[in-house]
Amino acid sequence: MRRKSGLMRGRVRTALILMAALYLTACGVSNVVIEGSFPTPNINKLPITIAVHYDAALREFAYIEYSETGTEEYNIASGQSHIELFGTLLPAMFDGVIVVASIEEAQALGVDAIFAPNIEEFQLALPAKTKLDVFEVWIKYNMRLMTAEGDYIADWVLTSYGKTPTESLRSAEAAINEAAVVALRDLASSFSLNFTEVPEVKDWLNTL
Amino acid sequence: MKHLRGRNRLGSALLILVSLACCTTTTIDEFRQGETGIESNESVVILGRRQASDYETRSEFVECVGEGMAQGENSISIVPEQEFIDAMFPWFEPRTAPLRTRDLERLMTEVVVADRMTEFGVRYIVWLDGFTETSDRSGSMSCVVSPGGAGCFGFGSWEDDANYDARVWDVNSLTNVGTISTDATGQSYLPAFVIPIPLIARVEANACSRLATQLKEFVNGS
Repeated sequence: MRRKSGLMRGRVRTALILMAALYLTACGVSNVVIEGSFPTPNINKLPITIAVHYDAALREFAYIEYSETGTEEYNIASGQSHIELFGTLLPAMFDGVIVVASIEEAQALGVDAIFAPNIEEFQLALPAKTKLDVFEVWIKYNMRLMTAEGDYIADWVLTSYGKTPTESLRSAEAAINEAAVVALRDLASSFSLNFTEVPEVKDWLNTL
Repeated sequence: MKHLRGRNRLGSALLILVSLACCTTTTIDEFRQGETGIESNESVVILGRRQASDYETRSEFVECVGEGMAQGENSISIVPEQEFIDAMFPWFEPRTAPLRTRDLERLMTEVVVADRMTEFGVRYIVWLDGFTETSDRSGSMSCVVSPGGAGCFGFGSWEDDANYDARVWDVNSLTNVGTISTDATGQSYLPAFVIPIPLIARVEANACSRLATQLKEFVNGS
């Protein structure tokens, strides 16, 4: 009898542990680290050398999406993928690209310009909330271009957008990653094709 | 005897359901605007339109049409979609891709784009635009798991509607040479008597194979 009751207690304990695990899984935040490959753009290079500075806010950028009840639902880290993207994009746009740890370091290098990108806003739209069959990612950037002395050349806003359809055998995390990669490619295409069209950049290039 | 008659009735009902499920109606509409034809060293690239805000043409459907065109008699060399988009980056992204042949004409003035197009030997660009929609869901099903066993009971049905347009651009003449539209509909059923028996109408697969056949004939000029 005592043995039977011990067995029952063991089963109850296992069930409780399983329930607790299920509860924790249901409430936990899903971490998504954006990963993707970015092709080299087919564009004409500008005959200039730039220094690029990624500040800590960009390098460690992460966005948290909250559920309707206010709990953390997704933690999306995209800082490293942005650096990888610029690492492919910038050498295809300029003759020389030097990554620097600080603006001061760039000033000592005697480059033509210093480029400092920044993420201002990140938005995620999930099918459960929008009632559309697509995952969407929208990112707003602030792009700064300075002279070698650190003086202002241009400061412009750029937005990128990516979406991916829902698929029955794909997780929400994979779909978010896919939509973010599309948004990053959108950033690369609009930045590379419109860089020389930014009025201040155009004026500055004419002075070189 | 009575038992056997009951079984026959059930079998007949299932047969009717299967035959109904197999029925997918596909309509193909072709509108030709120019002469076509393709040499053995030329290829076709099929690209999905992704500009709409609430849907996008699935890459799986694009791939399916490409595979259909690359098989069988008078098969055509197809450039894989992602390979082409990556090689052309950033000119064929959702926001930068040409929407009209006028835009393609402008794009071809870029030396890098024209060179890549020649490297691939692309003679025709096929723009696929559309999606498959599921509607009229009805019925219900309940599944039970007990120590004695498990089983599902009930009935469900839905309708699929695949609607796709294929616009064919001639890269040599930089004109739109024609449009092929496909509309496929079909009803699917899911009866469950202990085990669920899915009787699925292959709507998208039918739309894909019919569109691929028609596109192949169109591009070959037959």
